Amino acid sequence: MGEVLARFDAVTMQFGDLVAVDKASLEIRSGEVLAVLGENGAGKSTLMKLLYGVFPPTDGTIVVEGCPDGISGPAEALRQGIGMVFQHFSQLPALSVRDNLLLAWPKTPFWKSRRNRATGDVLSKLRDMAPAIDPDTPVHDLSVGEQQIVELVKVLNIQARIVILDEPTSVLTPAETDRLHGFICQLAADGVAVVLITHKLRDVEACADRIAVMRRGAIVDVSYRGERSMQEIVTLMMGKTVDRKLPSPQPATNPVDRLVLQYVSAQAAGMRLRDISLAVGRGEVVGVAGVAGNGQTLLAEVVAGIQPVTYGEVLLDGERIGRRRPGETLSTPLGYIPEQPRENATVEQLSLADNLALRDLAEGNRTDGSTSDLLCRFNVNPPVPDKRAGTLSGGNLQKLVSARELGTPRPAILACYPTMGLDLAAIELVYEHMFAQAAAGAAVLWISEDLDDLLAAAHRIAVIREGAIVALETNDGTLTRDRIGALMAGMASVSEAA
Amino acid sequence: MTADFVALLATWCIATLRSATPLIFATLGETLTQRVGVINLGIEGEMLTGACVGFTVGVATGNPWLGLLAGALAGGALSLLHAGLVLGAGANQIGSGLAVWMIALGGTSFFGRALVGKQVTPLADLGSPLTDGIPFIGTVMAQATMAVPLAILATCFAAWWLAQTRPGLKWKAVGESARIAGENGIRATRVRVTAIVVGGLLAGFGGAVLSVDYTQTWAQEMTKGRGLVAVGLVIVARWKPALVLPVCLLFGLAEVSVLRIQSAGYAFSPHLLGTFPYLVVLVVLVSSHVFARRASAMPADLKAVFA
Amino acid sequence: MSTVMRFPLLASVLTAACFLALAAAFFAALGKPPFEMLSSLVVYALGDAYSISQTFAKMTPILLCALAVAVPGRLGLISVGAEGQLHAGAILGTGLVLLAPELPGVVLIPLMLIAAAIGGGLYGWVPGMLRARLDVNETIVTLLMNYVSVLLVSALVFGPWRDPASQGWPATMKFPQGAVLPAVPDTRIHLGLLVGVLLAVGLHLFFNHGKWAQKIRILAGNRKVGEMFGLSYAFWVVALMSVGGAIAGIAGIAEVSAIQGRLQPTISLGYGLTGFLVAWLARHQPLVILPISLFVGALVAGSDALQLFAKVPAASAVIMQGLLFATALAVPGLLARWRTYRDR
Repeated sequence: MGEVLARFDAVTMQFGDLVAVDKASLEIRSGEVLAVLGENGAGKSTLMKLLYGVFPPTDGTIVVEGCPDGISGPAEALRQGIGMVFQHFSQLPALSVRDNLLLAWPKTPFWKSRRNRATGDVLSKLRDMAPAIDPDTPVHDLSVGEQQIVELVKVLNIQARIVILDEPTSVLTPAETDRLHGFICQLAADGVAVVLITHKLRDVEACADRIAVMRRGAIVDVSYRGERSMQEIVTLMMGKTVDRKLPSPQPATNPVDRLVLQYVSAQAAGMRLRDISLAVGRGEVVGVAGVAGNGQTLLAEVVAGIQPVTYGEVLLDGERIGRRRPGETLSTPLGYIPEQPRENATVEQLSLADNLALRDLAEGNRTDGSTSDLLCRFNVNPPVPDKRAGTLSGGNLQKLVSARELGTPRPAILACYPTMGLDLAAIELVYEHMFAQAAAGAAVLWISEDLDDLLAAAHRIAVIREGAIVALETNDGTLTRDRIGALMAGMASVSEAA
Repeated sequence: MTADFVALLATWCIATLRSATPLIFATLGETLTQRVGVINLGIEGEMLTGACVGFTVGVATGNPWLGLLAGALAGGALSLLHAGLVLGAGANQIGSGLAVWMIALGGTSFFGRALVGKQVTPLADLGSPLTDGIPFIGTVMAQATMAVPLAILATCFAAWWLAQTRPGLKWKAVGESARIAGENGIRATRVRVTAIVVGGLLAGFGGAVLSVDYTQTWAQEMTKGRGLVAVGLVIVARWKPALVLPVCLLFGLAEVSVLRIQSAGYAFSPHLLGTFPYLVVLVVLVSSHVFARRASAMPADLKAVFA
Repeated sequence: MSTVMRFPLLASVLTAACFLALAAAFFAALGKPPFEMLSSLVVYALGDAYSISQTFAKMTPILLCALAVAVPGRLGLISVGAEGQLHAGAILGTGLVLLAPELPGVVLIPLMLIAAAIGGGLYGWVPGMLRARLDVNETIVTLLMNYVSVLLVSALVFGPWRDPASQGWPATMKFPQGAVLPAVPDTRIHLGLLVGVLLAVGLHLFFNHGKWAQKIRILAGNRKVGEMFGLSYAFWVVALMSVGGAIAGIAGIAEVSAIQGRLQPTISLGYGLTGFLVAWLARHQPLVILPISLFVGALVAGSDALQLFAKVPAASAVIMQGLLFATALAVPGLLARWRTYRDR
């Protein structure tokens, strides 16, 4: 067991009324991988951001070895050898890889030109880990996996004693995930204290030495590897025994194509779709798998009629629903659950009731008051129709959007990462309604990064890579996680898939 | 024939340069301010204040350099008000800029009354026996003052600063995202205050160049929207200091053409001609949107101001 | 939902107190007795019938310009073009009067107002189209366009429209009686004020009730969502920019017709900018604009009189408006800061 590098002592963090971290006490030791496990919103990231100095705790103390005055901010944390890889990376997409690395490097000289020899060292670790990355490319041109490597290099460059990784595997292919697990174990073997924030048991199984479980801001349990079974840990994480299962896909009875994409090409902010053809039948669930940032968001927005197509058509029951030019007025008939509901699906200034009735309001119709029932059915908290949507948490907003989009029968459902940011109970609820729509005859196009969920419930799985559908596989029980992973990473050829 | 043409070309070149010089300083200042993610419409007021204070000090001391220095300091001081409102009180950037402009408008028309009709010692020209008589260069040097090379130097320095230095990198980072810059250990607010004040100093200096060096008189509201033109030109220059120079010269050329047409005795309304520089800026602004993808160059945090 | 409630009482009172303190300091800096000056400011603004008439006269263009800014402001657009639209409206309105000065008032006045609205409306339509079609920033475009129409007014009154009888004074002929907006007898309170108040009430109803209000709110809150459900952002940008411009255009012709009596270069004392500040103080709420424009109108009228009788410089009205706006921007933010600090 290594020496204690940092210690949380009854740390509490409040944001207004919300208690994000509740009297948490924890030790971080060198040469050890500490997994901080918990559901979305359990307070894992907040706890570690306190250590990194992003904000000061409301109450309690955080003692860092060799730093009696505490961490005043990220700059101080970096000087003290604490590095953090954020879930949504802390890189500036418009700047080059080199500039991003120099930015976080305490030794960057005043004259940072590449002609200055003193800046050379900043790239040495990048060359070791990923010689293929050109340091002069802007970060937004890198794949998500590459961005994560850059992020790791940033932390390695400061000779970190403590490395915090916030949900690092959520954006990686299975193969990349395995590589990262190996890398984490190597770091710990070198004597670094690694904190791995995750909600995936797979990560815990692969490399955790000690497991801290958080629920609703509190640390409910800390155990060494092997002390508890995974089932026990899940129970601790949920607060109850959960037997999670998805309805296995029923073969679609009436294979009539409803939602059809014909040769769809589109372009927007650094992303493009190339010649996508796909047909989703009546009552069919088609999953779209892929590494984040391969065009999923654009695909969703094109099908939802937000972004225009440059070529091709999106049809629902034979009628065009895709936008042909940016200014075209078009109302989508789909039930659409996008990612990031705050930006993409709600109007924060309006009440919950108005947000549920957005379609009617946009058409200029008056609304009836049958909304509180819908709020209750989808567990929106608080179920107060007059409350402004902007006051809700991200998870509750997503439930609100689900209520609007799934609460009434739709001809087709388009879901883009619909469960992101939700706790398990809410995930179940969204899935239940989504598959009920399919059972009632809707065509469901479901973009997800959770391969296990896709494999459990989709009839067919399409794999998207670099803006094109590279494979479309029937989920007949023989399809495996590794197979999809290989397709996502471009390691299996398309001909092989056919 | 050729000699005449060279002489004419030289006169136009130097006139354009001199007319553009105050604007170059202001546009550069606004570029730097916007690069850290803050828009400052108060730059119009800062120029005006710089012109007023610079002229006052220039008249009082008889030393134009002291005037320019005082103008820069006045512009910088006024920009602190914008910084305080925007960063301290979280005020809307557009509103705060206009408030600063208004205060400067009132203040300078009050203090400026005493300046009308006063004479200021201008900056010495750069002509010397060495260059006299050389075609083109001789004419240019005889009519140029130190302000012109200073403006060119300042743009080069700013381009170098942003591209090659560690603090410049920090500025760019803050403009892209104050939050992410903070996660990388940068004190975003401190950087922003610095950049706003540097922008104010440059705008004040530009204003002082306008009154002390270019027109050599004081008139109420004499900047005539140059600061706002600067805000528009920043977009045209795609937030790059290196492009500030050519873009401002375009405005200078438009202004010089107007003056030449007037002095040539054509029977155009001077007021109608006066709209020409603004129309040029508007046309350039619109065409820069038609021909370029704007989104890729705008500092990301700046987009939030207009959302 | 009322925004008045969201701008809490404490902040308003503090803003007023800070502004008074700053104004007093300003007078003291001028070497005048501050409290005497402040009280005479109130007297000159509201003391007798003449002062009140002056206050309402100043309030009218400020009110109209503020509404002109608030209309596109409801969609989240930042238009600073009221000054230019005011001049554009004055040009077209005057043009009509010069074209047909003989028409009787009942015909001429409505036509003149419509022409002015079209002039201002076109001047708002241009930046609206540029924004909708090319995504050109409407703030910069409107700011620059201001200078153009102000210069156009000068070009016209120095040139083709100059009245030969005015002996070199740059102005058109005096408007015929049939082109002068009706006013309350012996005052400068004219039809423009009534138009402004009616517009404020009408816009309040339009933006807070009915189906269009909802559409605009959705688009203002989240453009993407609005467009997803079949609303056209481009249409509303152009429509609201044009309507705003039209309102400012009416302000222009009202000044020309009722106050100046002829088109000349000095028809606006920066009403466009003042209107912008008032609209922002009122958070684009038409009914809140009414009292605030009255207050600022009183401030302008009072300082005008103060300049005449107490030898306070003419610029003080502008400075005080600037101070008022800076205070109003600073106080709520600082208050919020102090509250979070206290709650820690």
